Amino acid sequence: MTGREMYGSDREQAERMLDRIQTAADEGMPLDDVRIALFDLSAAIDRESDLAPIADRISVLASALGPDSIHEVIEMVRALVAGPVAPAEAPAEPEVPDDVAAYAADQELGAMFVAEGLDHLATIESTILQLETSPDDVKLLNDVFRPFHTVKGNAGVLGLMSIQEVAHKLETLLDRVRSGTHAMGPAEVDVVLKGVDLLTLMIRELPARAAGHVGTDVTRRRADLLDVVTALIEGGPSPAVYEPAAVAPAVAAPGAAAPKVDRRDDNQSTVKVNTRKLDALLDMVGELVIAQSILAEDPVLVRSRDERLNDRLAQLKRITSELQRNAMAMRMVPIRQTFQKMARLVRDMSRQSDKPISLVLSGEETELDRKVVEHLTDPLMHMIRNCIDHGIEPAAVRAETGKPITAELRLSAFHQAGSIVVVIGDDGAGLNTDKIRAVAIQRGLIAEDAALSPDAIHQLIFHAGFSTADRVTEISGRGVGMDVVRRNVEALRGRIDIQTAAGRGTTFTIRLPLTLAIVDGLVLRVGAERFVIPTFAVRESLRPTAEQVHALQGRARMVRVREKLIPLLHLGEAFGIPDACPRILEATVVIIEDADRLLALVVDELIGKYEVVIKSLGDAFGNVRGVAGGAILGDGRIGLILDAGGLLALSGAGVDAVGTAA
Amino acid sequence: METRVGIAGADAARHQPDAGGKYLTFALGGEEYGLPVLKVREIIKAMDITHVPQVPGHVRGVINLRGRVIPVIDLRLKFGFMAQENTDHTCIIVVDVVHLGMIGVVVDSVSEVLNISGSDIDQAPDFGDHVTTDYILGLAKVKSSVKILLDLDRVLGAEAPVMVESF
Repeated sequence: MTGREMYGSDREQAERMLDRIQTAADEGMPLDDVRIALFDLSAAIDRESDLAPIADRISVLASALGPDSIHEVIEMVRALVAGPVAPAEAPAEPEVPDDVAAYAADQELGAMFVAEGLDHLATIESTILQLETSPDDVKLLNDVFRPFHTVKGNAGVLGLMSIQEVAHKLETLLDRVRSGTHAMGPAEVDVVLKGVDLLTLMIRELPARAAGHVGTDVTRRRADLLDVVTALIEGGPSPAVYEPAAVAPAVAAPGAAAPKVDRRDDNQSTVKVNTRKLDALLDMVGELVIAQSILAEDPVLVRSRDERLNDRLAQLKRITSELQRNAMAMRMVPIRQTFQKMARLVRDMSRQSDKPISLVLSGEETELDRKVVEHLTDPLMHMIRNCIDHGIEPAAVRAETGKPITAELRLSAFHQAGSIVVVIGDDGAGLNTDKIRAVAIQRGLIAEDAALSPDAIHQLIFHAGFSTADRVTEISGRGVGMDVVRRNVEALRGRIDIQTAAGRGTTFTIRLPLTLAIVDGLVLRVGAERFVIPTFAVRESLRPTAEQVHALQGRARMVRVREKLIPLLHLGEAFGIPDACPRILEATVVIIEDADRLLALVVDELIGKYEVVIKSLGDAFGNVRGVAGGAILGDGRIGLILDAGGLLALSGAGVDAVGTAA
Repeated sequence: METRVGIAGADAARHQPDAGGKYLTFALGGEEYGLPVLKVREIIKAMDITHVPQVPGHVRGVINLRGRVIPVIDLRLKFGFMAQENTDHTCIIVVDVVHLGMIGVVVDSVSEVLNISGSDIDQAPDFGDHVTTDYILGLAKVKSSVKILLDLDRVLGAEAPVMVESF
């Protein structure tokens, strides 16, 4: 079977399918069906044939299909199927061709190319790192090759010649590797990664440059990269930087067809959805749940003895809660992508600092809330930088102490008791207790004679402005450090712990809630208003007796709970609620806790414990102190969610949970 | 027809009486106002509003609009009229405000949608320091009455980040 034959028959088949689509469209087939037919066409094209870039292009066109553009799009697809594929050899341009004009010519398709291109590049980046460790994995190689091919093809179709040339050059290199005439070594991985960085930059800047902004000048970088790739291709395997390129077996016999990998597995089973649409859907599901519960609790229905009606209501309830569970699951994404970013970071840092490191990932499949993932990347990067910079010893030191030269960095994620646990561990030197103590004394964080347990001393690294770096490196030790990490983790309502053993390494454990969208809360009433306080911030609640309440200057200011005096905050007064119960002895006191400080909230009554969906109050309100957001309660009205930290700040008091009363 | 009076504010171009189009008119404290219909997302009956602390008096709080939390402004209080109990006619007009998104505006009653031609719209005269005319798109003369056309982006947008009073 030769490529040419495959190409010819594929093309005829595609044309026949297209004819059928056109006829159906003329006969008034609905828009969505036309779109699906085009997707089918795209899927039917053999991914290993020369038509593959056209397949991607067709799906781009299909996505862009509008009610007025059916015929236009079909004509474009026809031209694609009939016409030549992207040029085999990039035109020899004297200087960087102007991609911006080509992008500006069709911004809608351009925008799709940008989104897809960046996705492909992310795939390449993570796959090439895996390929580095197992260079003879044909599937991995194909997984790197194919996205390059697609980016190249799409760029060519759109006329983005400058991008196309880079992608083409790298594809050529990879093709040599695929055909076994070139070995995959560290230099090749390096240049592919550099190429990915460059392409990412060029593609990402396209929209801004089309809008008239001045982008980064990549002329030099681009020329350099192309030179390096050319040198690699022509000069055969270049001298390896890391290790001799001895282990670089031919990947496949020349001419042998690469095994087909079913890419539909990972691509076609997922759909990209605008997050705004997703959030709107989740909002509506939340409303449906509330509407259902209002209906179920309607006095008329509750009194009803009609069995059929009750059955139907029960059925509605089942469906609603199933729908809610599914909708919530849609917010969850695997942590894999974040981990893959870390893999790149570890590789770069390992080379930069000359410390060989093997990164062991586990639990990449663990799913967590999209928002949590987004906010987890920065703290993780920071901690890994710290691990490599401060934790892992230089190779020479490791050799002296009899440790393996190659350090091990473990990154894992798993579910445990309703939370997500992310663990970062190294087999480095461990935290230096004496040094941390010395620095803390020097920075005035603790007294010179403070008696602290090693654990308490280790906790000091989370203090603002604490950094033990002997030297300020490019990578860490700039004074922002673990305090920022801790703040970020706490902003996600999580917790971070350290275990360390001198000479054996350090392990950081981050515990996070499964989702930021829902919180377990205690619903309180003050006057006609209801509030929600997250249960994790609640220590206890009580009806105070006269002996427990202590007045200061004639006003009730403190409540005494088991030898501890806790300042009172009358929520009704603090928030200006007119009909709040003024007498503390008739009220309920809820003791809340934040960052080891306690405050007693005076409220009218406790209504109960509920799971509520957290909603932002929106941009119209700046930062309302003491309020974290709004929750839609069972009757459809909004209750404000209280923020313990903000309330403590508002009261200007609070008492240390471990110390003595103020 | 043109009444050339002093123009309040430097951004004079916005106040040019070229603002012809459809307006939703409503009553507030005995006066008639209008909003460009394109800004209006929907009109809902007055409902229970959840009070939010630390905000200026004219910010009534938040409501649940089909799963979204949106702020509600009392235009009576914003314009310095006396507060008034809700009546059967009290409505919340949900508008889309630049930078702020959806905002509910409490008005006494909603009247009708009028097609007002640009030639019937005059610039707001300059009353000096007594009355701010910044957020008035223009004054529309409809039959015997005058409707005050509002630029809600200015009425509400101006206070965007400072809606919460500083302590």
